[in-house]
Amino acid sequence: MNRSAPRSIDHYLRQLREELAAEDAALIQDALYDAEEYLRAEVAAHPDKSESDVLELIASTYGAPDEVASAYRDTEAKVKAAMTTPRKVATSGVSAFFGVFLDPRAYTSLFFMLLSLATGIIYFTFAVIGLSLSAGLAVLVIGIPFFLVFMALTRVVSLAEGRLIEAMTGERMPRRPIHQSGTAGFWSRVGQMLKDRRTWTTLAYLILMLPLGIAYFVIAVVGLSLSLAFTFAPLLYLADHYGWFYPPGNVHMNPAWLESLWALPFTMLVGVLLLTLVMHLARGVGRLHAMYAKTLLVSPAAPTAAGVQAAAA
Amino acid sequence: MDDSNGKKFQKDLNGGLVGLVLLAVLNQSTEDLYGYEIAKRLASANEGVSIFKEGTIYPVLRALSAAHLLTSRIVPSYSGPPRRYYRITDQGRSVLAEWTAIWAGTRNFVDRFIDKGHSP
Repeated sequence: MNRSAPRSIDHYLRQLREELAAEDAALIQDALYDAEEYLRAEVAAHPDKSESDVLELIASTYGAPDEVASAYRDTEAKVKAAMTTPRKVATSGVSAFFGVFLDPRAYTSLFFMLLSLATGIIYFTFAVIGLSLSAGLAVLVIGIPFFLVFMALTRVVSLAEGRLIEAMTGERMPRRPIHQSGTAGFWSRVGQMLKDRRTWTTLAYLILMLPLGIAYFVIAVVGLSLSLAFTFAPLLYLADHYGWFYPPGNVHMNPAWLESLWALPFTMLVGVLLLTLVMHLARGVGRLHAMYAKTLLVSPAAPTAAGVQAAAA
Repeated sequence: MDDSNGKKFQKDLNGGLVGLVLLAVLNQSTEDLYGYEIAKRLASANEGVSIFKEGTIYPVLRALSAAHLLTSRIVPSYSGPPRRYYRITDQGRSVLAEWTAIWAGTRNFVDRFIDKGHSP
């Protein structure tokens, strides 16, 4: 190692970030959070020593940035391997096509699509009310504190949405909130937050969740009702026609030729194929949405306190 | 002896042991502990020098928590970011008992060969 040993907390976090540069953005956020908790507690525990004296010993207690980085890499790889049960992935065409019914991600993504109408409405309302009240109150004394509380809540909502997306799609999202170093003054932290690209992309995400949520909900509901209707209408028709049991109301299929016996199996087949397509679509939407959410909510390039000072240095 | 050889051996050994020690520490403790506190307990048990680099326990804590062996809650802190306090779960206790038995068996097995050289 030819780089200098870190002499301040920000310096240490910067080196740790560099060591983890190739890793998942969410993992970097967690690692920096843990390191900062330890380093600040260690500095606070030695009030008689200066920050650089405490940092001098850090490599032998907490570990040098490269050691800590490799610990996170190893643990992440092991946890990932242990938590994902090996699945037989069907590669041939037909079983790969219908294999989607065995993939829990397809069901959770479908559920996410249905849920996103509700979360979309909540996020949109939250963001629009927060922004407009912030703008309206800006001329009053309480305007600035209100805006800061709103931004703090935005980060909590962003973390919660991340947890939801990880649960539904399996995409790794942060398990710790964003935390800015406490060394900088209050106003410079506010300034950094305003300059942070992620602050604004998070707000954009919350607002865009309403149209996206409506689209997801409509696609899921229309897709499910169409395919389920195609699948089960022939059965209901037969039940009604031959008196196996009596479904509520009269069952009729339009156009009438669909009610002929030769057409019924085809209708069911179309229904099953449609349902499979809907499941594939849901899984795909889940994956795309996870990537999209990660771009807007988690950004490795977003300047944190350490990053801003690195740029200034 | 080459220092890097010793380091590598220690690192390989630590792989599974960190999890066992963390579960044991949290099982002994009557209150919830956060990462820094656990690190300091480990260090003080060994005359101020932890066998593990303290930075390596955090990812393991998160992994144990993800496997439902620990639960955690977040408490704000004056000195830095909010602290995450950990507590062992019932599932964690049964895993700890299982791992303890494995560790005892392994230690006895290893000692059987190592002690031969020293005993008369």
